[in-house]
Amino acid sequence: MSFLSISNAVKTFGANTVVKGFDLSVEKGEFVSFLGPSGCGKTTVLRMIAGFERPTSGRITIDGRDVTDAAPNKRRIGMVFQAYALFPNMNVAGNIAFGLKIAGLSKAETDARVQEMLALIGLSHLAERFPYEMSGGQQQRVALARALAPKPQVLLLDEPLSALDAKIRVSLREEIRAIQRQLGITTVFVTHDQEEAMSISDRIVVMNGGRADQIGTPSEIYNRPKTRFVAGFVGTLNVLRAQVDSHAPHTVTVGGKTVHLPRPVETADASGTLSLALRPEALSLTPSAARDVTFEGQVQGVNFMGSVIRIRMHVGDEAISFDMFNSPDLVPPKIGQQAAAHFSSRDIFELSA
Amino acid sequence: MKKTFPLAAVLIALFAASFFIVPLVATFYFSLKMTRGELGFAAYASVFNSADFLTTISYSTVASLIAIAVGAVIIVPTAYWVRLKVPHLRPVVEFISLLPLIVPPVVLVFGYIRLFGSNSYLPLTTTTAGTDVLLVLGYVVLSMPYMFRAVDNGMAAIDIATLTEAAESLGASRLRTIAFVIFPNVRAAIIAGAFLTFSISLGEFVLASLLNRPAFGPYLVQLGQDRAYEPAALAIMSFAFTWGCMALMQLFATRKPGQRWLPRLMTPAKRTTP
Repeated sequence: MSFLSISNAVKTFGANTVVKGFDLSVEKGEFVSFLGPSGCGKTTVLRMIAGFERPTSGRITIDGRDVTDAAPNKRRIGMVFQAYALFPNMNVAGNIAFGLKIAGLSKAETDARVQEMLALIGLSHLAERFPYEMSGGQQQRVALARALAPKPQVLLLDEPLSALDAKIRVSLREEIRAIQRQLGITTVFVTHDQEEAMSISDRIVVMNGGRADQIGTPSEIYNRPKTRFVAGFVGTLNVLRAQVDSHAPHTVTVGGKTVHLPRPVETADASGTLSLALRPEALSLTPSAARDVTFEGQVQGVNFMGSVIRIRMHVGDEAISFDMFNSPDLVPPKIGQQAAAHFSSRDIFELSA
Repeated sequence: MKKTFPLAAVLIALFAASFFIVPLVATFYFSLKMTRGELGFAAYASVFNSADFLTTISYSTVASLIAIAVGAVIIVPTAYWVRLKVPHLRPVVEFISLLPLIVPPVVLVFGYIRLFGSNSYLPLTTTTAGTDVLLVLGYVVLSMPYMFRAVDNGMAAIDIATLTEAAESLGASRLRTIAFVIFPNVRAAIIAGAFLTFSISLGEFVLASLLNRPAFGPYLVQLGQDRAYEPAALAIMSFAFTWGCMALMQLFATRKPGQRWLPRLMTPAKRTTP
């Protein structure tokens, strides 16, 4: 049985239904991310797990105990907020000790645990500092230590990296993941940043309009997105309209080309139209035996992005974009030039909705 | 580039300030002239030697301190609750807190006397203790606009909602959250409100006079009618007192947590910087 389970959770604010039937089972020690645009309900679900919002209907259980109606301070959860929310009147050690004192630990036990937590986040030398004397990254590490100190059953992270600058964001997310693995704590992480979710999670829940569009591992989400929304939100995607041959379900016409798919088409509508998707990295200017389909068209744009160069091209009435790796002696195509992009028909996937 | 001296601005400022400074200096000078032919603090000594001065000022001090305590107990949880649970009602509560500035104290005290008079269900004015209670409650009402504003501003400066949630997620009850997280963080604001309350109610005249209590305000007025030099000395002292209060407010308001009042005598172990 799963450690944290949310079944058919619904949350309504007035006439506005923010969460529309959300189901999720999280295993013990798993790191799950809620990914979605703002307003998709990801934070509301997190706050329902924390107990700050009561679900309008549905149940939430942690370790077999129904906590749907339990007060937040009776749930044994640890939470980290976007705005750090350290207690300004207490120093670092005081902040970390807060939950331990409430749990009724002795002075000696509290001190030992605070030292342990400070060592875990690598800030033992800053125990006496006050929040206003520290950088955002340091404050957020203290907030993490404070949340973990009372040994919570579940760790909830509400966009903890969004207020930090880019470099710290990457290093701290790796640190969070390392600590999470070390402690084996069940963790739910909310973010709107797909790269963050991909790099840190065991599983990702892509949320859209109050529902989970897809739940899967990062590679499942990226390589086999089920809906157009998931495909578009996670990474960049070329979406191509195609027409299926009514006599051969393997054969489609796309961008004026006939392409034989490895699998029969499943999602075509009555008129035989469907949406196909292709990741930018599947296309290449270099032909090879595996790349059995070639699109020819005019180059519309060339974007230099550092390690890669992104090229936009018109193929028939479709626009596609693809990436090529940068190297010092590479000559990228010019705008207006004719070019040929090659890809494998096996990299094409269908979008259901 | 060297800036030209703003002569016109300084002259205007000095001219405006003279309206305030000249009377103050004149009053101070006058207060020193009680003994004929020489300058001295005889008027001040006379004030401090008066038994009435000591009884009235201690009466008013006690009444003001009680008013501060009652006011804080009412205002702090109210401001917290409004910000946390019913933020859309904040303008309404703010307006209610401003009412004492609109309703004159005379109206307030006559209302009290009619409402709690001898033919009332709660005849507070018939006993001395009851009248004292009315006076303190009146001070609480009069200081409400200042107290609420100070506390509410203090709460605006910290993220009440998130701090409350952080404390609750760590297992703290609502009462514990208020006591250990909210209260220490708005303490400076409460102290500022307390000083304002104190300076208002210490010399308050209308309520004390009409309720016929031996407070400092009526004593000041009486002294002004009876004597020449002592009122001037009292005026100067009350100015000094008010400025002292303001300086203390400033001190509390700008102090950061963990900061010491005075530098340490012994050098502490050096903190390593990252």
